[in-house]
Amino acid sequence: MTPRGQPSSLVAALAIARRDLLEFVRDRRTLVITLLLPMATYPILALATALGLRTATQEIDARTAPAPIRVGLSGPDAALFAALVQRTLETTPRNERTGWPADVALADVSKADAESLLDRGAIDLWIVTQPGLLAALQAQQTVPIRARVSARQPANVTLREQFLAFMRTLGRDVTRGRVTAAGLPTTLLEPLDVAFEGDPAGGPPPMEHNVVSTLAGGMLVLLTVLTLTGAFYPAIDAIAGEKERGTIETLLIAPCRISDIVLGKFLGVLAITLATLVANVMSIAATAAVAVRYLPQGVVAALPEGALAQASIATIVAFCGMAAVAAATCLAVTTASKSGKEAQNTLTPVILLVSAVAGSALLPGVRTGPLFAAIPFAGQVVVARSALGTGAEEPSGGLVLALAVAVSLLSSLAVTWLLLQLTALTLADEDVLFRGPDVAGTPLHRPARRRRPNAVQALLPLVAGFAGLWYSQGLVPNDLRWAIPVQQVLAVLVPLALVGWWQRVDLRETFSWRWPAVGGADRAARSASVMLGAVLLGGGLFLLGAAALLAWQGGTTSAEARQLSSRLVALIQDQPRWLAWALIALVPAVCEELLFRGWVLAGFVGHARTRQRLWTAIVVQAAAFALFHLLPERMPQTFLLGLVLGVLVALTGSLWPAIACHLAHNSMPIVILAFAGDMPDLAEAIETGASSAAMLPQSIIVAAAAAVAIGSGLVAIGVRPWNRLMEHPR
Amino acid sequence: MPPEPVIDVAGLVKHYHASDGTVVRAVNGVSFTVEAGEMVGLLGANGAGKTTTLRMLATLLKPTSGTARVAGCDIRDDPVGVRRRLGYVSATTGVADRLSAREIFASFGRLHGLPDETLPDRVATLLEQLDLTGCADRPAGRLSSGQRQRVSLGRALVHDPPALVLDEPTNALDVIGARDLLDLLARLRAEGHAILLSTHRLHEIENRCDRFVIIHDGSVVATGTRESLVADWIPGRDGELEEVFFAAIRTGAAHSELQP
Repeated sequence: MTPRGQPSSLVAALAIARRDLLEFVRDRRTLVITLLLPMATYPILALATALGLRTATQEIDARTAPAPIRVGLSGPDAALFAALVQRTLETTPRNERTGWPADVALADVSKADAESLLDRGAIDLWIVTQPGLLAALQAQQTVPIRARVSARQPANVTLREQFLAFMRTLGRDVTRGRVTAAGLPTTLLEPLDVAFEGDPAGGPPPMEHNVVSTLAGGMLVLLTVLTLTGAFYPAIDAIAGEKERGTIETLLIAPCRISDIVLGKFLGVLAITLATLVANVMSIAATAAVAVRYLPQGVVAALPEGALAQASIATIVAFCGMAAVAAATCLAVTTASKSGKEAQNTLTPVILLVSAVAGSALLPGVRTGPLFAAIPFAGQVVVARSALGTGAEEPSGGLVLALAVAVSLLSSLAVTWLLLQLTALTLADEDVLFRGPDVAGTPLHRPARRRRPNAVQALLPLVAGFAGLWYSQGLVPNDLRWAIPVQQVLAVLVPLALVGWWQRVDLRETFSWRWPAVGGADRAARSASVMLGAVLLGGGLFLLGAAALLAWQGGTTSAEARQLSSRLVALIQDQPRWLAWALIALVPAVCEELLFRGWVLAGFVGHARTRQRLWTAIVVQAAAFALFHLLPERMPQTFLLGLVLGVLVALTGSLWPAIACHLAHNSMPIVILAFAGDMPDLAEAIETGASSAAMLPQSIIVAAAAAVAIGSGLVAIGVRPWNRLMEHPR
Repeated sequence: MPPEPVIDVAGLVKHYHASDGTVVRAVNGVSFTVEAGEMVGLLGANGAGKTTTLRMLATLLKPTSGTARVAGCDIRDDPVGVRRRLGYVSATTGVADRLSAREIFASFGRLHGLPDETLPDRVATLLEQLDLTGCADRPAGRLSSGQRQRVSLGRALVHDPPALVLDEPTNALDVIGARDLLDLLARLRAEGHAILLSTHRLHEIENRCDRFVIIHDGSVVATGTRESLVADWIPGRDGELEEVFFAAIRTGAAHSELQP
């Protein structure tokens, strides 16, 4: 029994949730977003889609529908040809007229009028029959039929295809006549009689099933986004709103733990999010029932018996898990905000990102399988598509579906728990709780001059850099001589220069511009030792990385990676060596080190320089560095290189060894190609993007490992005492 | 042995790291006590460290060093125990606009573990005590600032705590509202609550507090009853508390400038 004044965690959480819910439901914005938005959105979208689909299919039908063809006939045997046509029209059964025109109308035309009739569109085709048509047919020859079209109004593809289909039937009739005339049975012409058996009553699903699958996918993404929208206002209200109203402190001094408060807040937001989900699902169900009437015939394929109920339950359960993640995400993101407006500004881009993640579940490459169900915000779409079946895959049921639902729910629980822990940490953070309102937009304001950027500011050039990386692809030609410098300038230097100038940080401090070794008379010698060590490390790491890539991936590199390799090799072989070196090694080494080991590392280390922050910063910048290289197969190698470069800067307090190491790393392909004659395997590996060479020569691997070991030793000798960055905080 | 003071602040220190990496010494070893049935005024200019001290007392901030006890509970070792024994109204405390006074009191009563059977009676008593019965079911957003401040106070009193801490409670109030609130606090003191309130509006509390603690630049520069302070700081004159305050903080400033 809990003593008076000390409610249990759940009682406290429920009391907070109850209080919050009362507030939420009295906020009209919440009601509008929760109930009215879904009620209006789905009918409007469904009606627009159904009408659009109907118009589109009608257009397609109109274009492919059988149309009458008017054929003008001239020439000596026109009447005979007309008789043949007439016979085929009259004798062919309906089920053998596949692809035919609606009708073939024949008219005798004089050669003088034919051209003008064609041009005016009075006839679609003009056929001049050759003399001796009957004799030619009986003589078992191939008779040329030349159908003229107007140069001004050429007959469309459908008309040509339908005419050809009709003429094939006519040809078959002629063949049958020849066979009969020769006294042979007509079964000679049809050696096989093929039919499908065991078809369901409705026959195979119509081709348009894909359209419904695509629509359902879009609907699932929309459901995700709208469910998240249901968490939007309550989450903002729950913590940022309390801060704005000045009521958060009253909760924080209640006799319960921070985690109880966060749980209470979460339960309140979750209740509204689930209500939004329910309102959305009900609206979807009602809308679907109505929309079916507006969809063109044959577009809707019925699911097998019982599958719809099973699919609906699996989908709703998976979406409930997503609702929990959505509520926790919105809370976690808005907890640091001081006001509703600030929280909205923070949350809006998150909603966009989440929409992108949910949408990624519709990509053709993403298979509907249990593992994909674990991805937050995409997993529930994966489960639903797996349950409903996609265009390419049958609906899964039973154990497979249950497993996918379980994985999705477990993942949602784990992610929710993590996010709530993060929320509790943020809420309890004194600096966050009692910071002044003026600090809200600090990363966006031009601050007073100071030594280093902070973590948020460290992210700014990265975000701008990724955008620059994307846009630079469209701006530059395929020529690497231009692509590399433009990309480095747009994705690295320009964002860095702009943010650096705007944030007024100490450049020397941020970019670690100083000797790699400090103190003592032998400073120059020790600095040289560090630099030499860094160069050996860089070269050795490249070779070890290439060997690892070959050993692990063999010939299974992506087309993009092979293409990039061959373009780099072409650049090295076709350009002067100094230019290739500058483009592949020098420019990237300097630019990328300034960004990642300079700005980003300094920003994440920040002022409160603890061992934990230093390691976090090294890992974060290495991850960003790996992501920046875009190609997935290069990411493990670039991540490890990023870690080594980060540690180099942390140990030496200088950016120079990192630049030297990076420079040596990127120079290796040029060095190898220069000595390609001596190392054909390696040259081949580089030239083909590691496609056929299975392994590097052992001697090279041993030499590379030795270079890494010696390089590390030289760096260690130079930087004594260890951990300069930690022991000499600046 | 004399009874233990309800609020016992012992050498509280709070240092912050500013965003530029410098250390801000907000509170530098503050000590004082508040007995049961006593009202103590914590006086200081803006930025003197009043709010930081009260926030540490309310367990919203963790002290860098030093500690405090509220009704026997240590703010470091038993923050939940402190919260059960403390009513706190901060300078920025607002009320939930969309809830009524009755709902606010009830929700905090539940948070403090008041049983459902007695909760309505406790809420009704509080509403009457704070003269809020007539507007008990109106959304707090539509109450006057005086009424809202009384709702805040009621929220802090719902669990009947022995200690009450108020940070500039009269700031948003007009003369009449301030007087009503201070009358109410006087009644609570008479009921045996230990009350600590901070303010820089000295004339309002000059004759209402039993003792005063004057802090400047994070340190206590003077403490005592009004009479003893006048005798110590402006001897031979029957001046106002304001004069004492200026004399004390001038000395405090000179003292802190002498520090290395």
